[in-house]
Amino acid sequence: MTSARRPLPVPDALSAPFWEAAARHVLTLSRCSDCGTLTHPPNVACDACGSTDPRFTAAPVDGRGVVRSWTVIRQSFLPGFADLLPYVLVDVELAEQPDVRLVGRLLDGPDAPLKTGSPVRVAFEDLADGVAVPAFTLAEAS
Amino acid sequence: MSARFRARDRVAIVGYAQSPVVRHADRSLGALTLDTARAAVADAGLTPDQIDGFVTGTLLPTAGEHAVVDGVSVVSADWLAARLNPHPRYAAGFSGLGQIPGLMAMAVNAVASGAAEHVLVHRALHNPAGSYHGTSAGEFRGGLQWTAPQGFFGPLAMMGLTYNEYVQRYGASREALAEVVVEARKNGARLPWSHWSGRPLSAEQYLAEPMLADPIGRLDCDIPVDGAAAFVLTTAERARDLPHRPVHVSGYASGAPPRRRLPAHWPLDDIMAAGATTADRLWAAAGMGLDEIDLVQVYDGFSPLVFLWLEALGRCPVGEGHHYVRDGRIDSDRPGADPVLLSGGSLGNGRMHGVPQLLECYLQVSGRAGARQRSGIATALSCHSSPHLGGALVYSAEPGTSPVHESRV
Repeated sequence: MTSARRPLPVPDALSAPFWEAAARHVLTLSRCSDCGTLTHPPNVACDACGSTDPRFTAAPVDGRGVVRSWTVIRQSFLPGFADLLPYVLVDVELAEQPDVRLVGRLLDGPDAPLKTGSPVRVAFEDLADGVAVPAFTLAEAS
Repeated sequence: MSARFRARDRVAIVGYAQSPVVRHADRSLGALTLDTARAAVADAGLTPDQIDGFVTGTLLPTAGEHAVVDGVSVVSADWLAARLNPHPRYAAGFSGLGQIPGLMAMAVNAVASGAAEHVLVHRALHNPAGSYHGTSAGEFRGGLQWTAPQGFFGPLAMMGLTYNEYVQRYGASREALAEVVVEARKNGARLPWSHWSGRPLSAEQYLAEPMLADPIGRLDCDIPVDGAAAFVLTTAERARDLPHRPVHVSGYASGAPPRRRLPAHWPLDDIMAAGATTADRLWAAAGMGLDEIDLVQVYDGFSPLVFLWLEALGRCPVGEGHHYVRDGRIDSDRPGADPVLLSGGSLGNGRMHGVPQLLECYLQVSGRAGARQRSGIATALSCHSSPHLGGALVYSAEPGTSPVHESRV
């Protein structure tokens, strides 16, 4: 049985800069041009200052953070993941701005030693030509 | 200080019906719901032409790609009204999470304002053929573009992350969740309408189940079902002339808009922060606190939500829900215990989305619980969904005083 392709993100006006940078393996967060606060994902208004014209810019961040939680996925509801089971999802608080949380796969495998606060850094999985999605790997404590 | 909730105990539940809860009904959800609604109207001592308001919530809680078809996979207020009383004064649907507190709030407000005199509320749940949450989608737009391509998808992963955060922080054991699931299934096994009727579960069976999204296993999730329930609401004054002892709605509260997150991302601190305000608003609306409530029925669509609701309501300190349920302290058969899953919940009925909790409160306060009837239940509280996105209701056997007269005092 050939495994299906993993689903791809479809960029829109707000998300296109994020996916363009991700394709180059650069993690960006959306910075509000009015108040400078980072957010993810971007929204039509800024959550921090309420600006209805936030003119978000895709600000590169170094992608370091700590694990707040994790789960081991043993049954997939998506195409393209069957061969990857079991896999770990991590809930990551980014060092750049701790109230920003990202969820992605931990690429170290299901037996990686994890605890609350484990340091991680962003990694990218290439899914198709010009399409990469963020994931994480365990990092040395800084 | 905010103003008094003027509808407090002014609107009453006066009748109900509950369909059999089955994996796949042998008839359409619309037919099942229509029969259930007719039974509820008759139970209230009314006729369909007297039902001038219809309220529901139609969420089909699947992450999969099932078509939403009115009368087949959902049943809207309009669909039901067209077949019971095609000229209602009010028909509306609640569109958020926490459908039971949300739709009950709309129904109470409709009666209290005079928008309708007799409101039928219903909730119809469908289990579509095929995988409930599975999808073959090759691309994702909108919010899910940020999660699904990365492998974060569906409510199991959601609850796995939330509950592991709880386990890591507070040291909750699998045995604590076993107490929850076994208690729900024990109570559900006693209900003639339940999918799990006659089928209790042992802790050993629970603990033998494999994980699906650690630390969440299959039996921590309610099972998808076909089922419908309906309730009739009217004014406290009108309720006095109807056959059953009325159960008044003292107050309702839904979660505050919580912090915006990725889809299906429920960080524990978000749940508890917004949950605290949900509880505060509930006590303010109901005009009573937890110590004045005789029966609390918590929501358990995922078993860990029992801990989170116990903590959000203040039944125990934050982080101690997993201790609270141990050693038979929620055992409905133990005198003096706190039977928070007396309804069987979702784990003991099937995925009826907050209906069992509402139904048990109604039956116990109205004295209609039959062999399960407990003495001295004059007030009750039911929860639905999570403390941050769902909500809760408080009920009372006693009618409220007239707000018109009160304002003149």
